Amino acid sequence: MILEGSIRLPFSYAAGVVGSRFLVALRDEQVILGGRCSDCGTVSCPARSMCPECGTHVDDLVEVGPGGTVEAWTEMPGKPAFGLIRLDGADTALIHHLLSGEGKWQPNTRVTARFAPERVGDINDIEGFEEERGAS
Amino acid sequence: MNRQQSTDGVSVLGGAETAIALPDPRSIAEMALNVVERALEDAELRWSDIDAVVTASVDLFDGLTASSIAVTEVVGAVMKPETRIAADGLAAAIQAVHQIAAGAYDTVLVVAHGKASMAHHWNLTSWAMDPIFLQPLGVDFLTVAGLQADLIAGSDSSIIRRWAELAAHRKRTARGGIGESFTIDEVLESPVIAAPIRVGMCAPLGDGACAVVLGAGGGETTGGRAVIAGTGHDLDSHHPGDRDLTEWAGLRRACLRAYDMAGITDPAVAFAVAEPSCLFPHEEALFIDAAGVGEQTVLSPDGGLFAGTAPAISGLGRLLRATKAVKGNSGHRALAHGTWGPAGQGQAVAVVEAR
Repeated sequence: MILEGSIRLPFSYAAGVVGSRFLVALRDEQVILGGRCSDCGTVSCPARSMCPECGTHVDDLVEVGPGGTVEAWTEMPGKPAFGLIRLDGADTALIHHLLSGEGKWQPNTRVTARFAPERVGDINDIEGFEEERGAS
Repeated sequence: MNRQQSTDGVSVLGGAETAIALPDPRSIAEMALNVVERALEDAELRWSDIDAVVTASVDLFDGLTASSIAVTEVVGAVMKPETRIAADGLAAAIQAVHQIAAGAYDTVLVVAHGKASMAHHWNLTSWAMDPIFLQPLGVDFLTVAGLQADLIAGSDSSIIRRWAELAAHRKRTARGGIGESFTIDEVLESPVIAAPIRVGMCAPLGDGACAVVLGAGGGETTGGRAVIAGTGHDLDSHHPGDRDLTEWAGLRRACLRAYDMAGITDPAVAFAVAEPSCLFPHEEALFIDAAGVGEQTVLSPDGGLFAGTAPAISGLGRLLRATKAVKGNSGHRALAHGTWGPAGQGQAVAVVEAR
């Protein structure tokens, strides 16, 4: 016998001090923040409390993007396309949706963030990234 | 500490695994019991000979909290020291090796189990992603695998066909197992699951369980003794964008630890057989590069994971196959590999030698 079941449980996740500053900046200023490490200088995005490169505590937040380049792309049935995007000024890449175009995105395509008209303090306050106007 | 001697006396005494099925109608407990009984028989041991148990399972994939509660009794862990590892089974085996090498126990049973039939596995993996920045976007392990494959492919238009050739070859080499066989053209025409990865390029997932008995000394069974001469494991950054996805740096570090322990200075000529845990063809190139194995090393002689695999068991199954290789005179030394998490975040290797 196979017994059918489902798990659906509301849950509250703490974004943390630095993560919250990142999300508030998306919501209130339409700005993307990276965290600059005071030790190794790595600028990581999204901004988090700890440098992913060396583990140092991060509290120096700097604006990155909104433009960047697509490093990789994938497309899955029933989902918007995803990109691995290196934002201008960041040393790490951000995974987010790619909005315009169909089929494979070529490496190094220039893109820029498109913000949602209604923002709530969520990573989806960025609707996704679209090809920069005038980019060839 | 003399690292070269730290695991010198740990042998693979026996083991067993279920044939991968989709679904396996047995419960998790019944599948685990089956492999434990057969592993003990293979090792010519009884329940009372086991000092401690290490299990590998992932709550999320089993739909349970502390998924080892499903198997506590059948792995014989009641009133015994049990350790549960929420990672690949090879990481559990490494934990057991270290327990024995530290002198804590003489004989340790390692059990891994997973049932991909219980839910849509790839959808579940979205809940194993960062809940603030990744999960709300719908990113799952397959998304990250697709991004990694595209990054590696770059503008090389021929690489997709080479991956299709490799997937078709591995599936053809697999004896039995689950999933359809594909010709190269059928792989290239199969549905996209995470571009550029297609259905035919993905090792099939099902239900399985695996058990291995490790012990101090001994192991003088048919085919000689198989010693775990070196182990290494490593955890890389969770956020895929923090890593260079064109390589498995965590595996490289894990291998360096294992090779140092085993006294291996040139991995290119060290292994007769390597058993990587690669779900996709692009991962095999990452494995070869990170492990440094050479052309004389036979990779996945039984088709690797393309015969079918299950969550959490892959690496422990590879350890059994590496053991079989060195005891079956395929060569003196073999390398077993396990991985878990998005795009190879967690990595584990074990060097198995015939003595």
